Amino acid sequence: MKMADKSESSTNSDTPTNQDELILAQQRKIQQEISDTIPLVGPLDQISSLESEYSTDTIYLAKIKDLSSKYKSIRRTRPDGNCFFRAFGYAYIEKLLDDKEQFSLFYDLVEKSKNSLVALGFPQFTVEDFYDTFMEVLKRINDIDDASDAKKELHNLFNEQGYSDYMVVYLRLLTSGQLQKEQIFYSFFIDGERTVADFCHQEVEPMYKESDHIHIMGACSVLLTGVRVVYMDRGGNTSVTEHNIPQDRLTPDVYLLYRPGHYDILYL
Amino acid sequence: MSTPARRRLMRDFKRLQEDPPTGVSGAPTDNNIMIWNAVIFGPHDTPFEDGTFKLTIEFTEEYPNKPPTVRFVSHMFHPNVYADGGICLDILQNRWSPTYDVSAILTSIQSLLSDPNPNSPANSMAAQLYKENRREYEKRVKACVEQSFID
Repeated sequence: MKMADKSESSTNSDTPTNQDELILAQQRKIQQEISDTIPLVGPLDQISSLESEYSTDTIYLAKIKDLSSKYKSIRRTRPDGNCFFRAFGYAYIEKLLDDKEQFSLFYDLVEKSKNSLVALGFPQFTVEDFYDTFMEVLKRINDIDDASDAKKELHNLFNEQGYSDYMVVYLRLLTSGQLQKEQIFYSFFIDGERTVADFCHQEVEPMYKESDHIHIMGACSVLLTGVRVVYMDRGGNTSVTEHNIPQDRLTPDVYLLYRPGHYDILYL
Repeated sequence: MSTPARRRLMRDFKRLQEDPPTGVSGAPTDNNIMIWNAVIFGPHDTPFEDGTFKLTIEFTEEYPNKPPTVRFVSHMFHPNVYADGGICLDILQNRWSPTYDVSAILTSIQSLLSDPNPNSPANSMAAQLYKENRREYEKRVKACVEQSFID
């Protein structure tokens, strides 16, 4: 455990102001503005709806055109730093609802996961809280026979902050557990001196921390699934770049659009 | 009304009662589960020994996804405690994890009393004395310990 990072200036005065709280207060204000305007998980939109965000940007407009030739629709998620886990969890469960057999395999996998986390050293008392909520959501949607009704319930639960955030936390914990379990492999993906456990405590488990390639690898690996990330940025050519995780899995369950700093869900 | 934060705080309280860590205690205030009072006893073999330091913990509805605000009510002389009682501790700021509960918070603050970090000071006088004049540091801390009996 270490002290929070502080700016140098506070060492020069005998009565430093409580800068940590000032920073946190400002962050809270920005987050509040975002959460007031963008739903946690939005409705299905056409790919062309992206155009309005880039009306004067020819590179992006060309790429949106390319994107719309490959994908039919997009579902936006709130840019709160949890977007990967929220988009991934939503899109994967939504996909599983089309195949009862796959869903029940997933259900069994998650059901067993709490004991694995506790065995890895996660505190049982708090892990249980998130696990119970995750299982409750899976049960609730599993009890609905009609797939499209089940998807509606999934959508509602993912837009209820309490449920939605607990789903994200549990996915973060599962991912952290996986990275730590395979720490020799994942240590090659971490820059600097940090151990995999440090990285997990600082970048994976805390809410609102943005996800990178390594988070996606861990999440896919622990839940035995695959994601295709479609990159769209201002670089290079006129087409979007697609990348499968894990690399050798050519038929992903989840398609995500990545624009610098943010993930949304894509549909074929 | 039961919300995830309130439900979780009831669980935290129950656990703190059933399995209390040594040297810390805490409970919600009478009419508001979102505001807790807590006490940390100064750890043995430190200048804080014998002190009973009071704190308040304020939770938001975003708990446990976001950390609570923890503040010493008792006057403290410690490198990582601000004049207003605010605490400079990574797990209460940018390294918070939803897997921490009230027990974990209080035991972390308790170990901060034993192991100050003078390189990240919230009270530069305390940090300087801790590094350069340990005797004077301990004298000032002991004054806080005595003050804590009266508070």
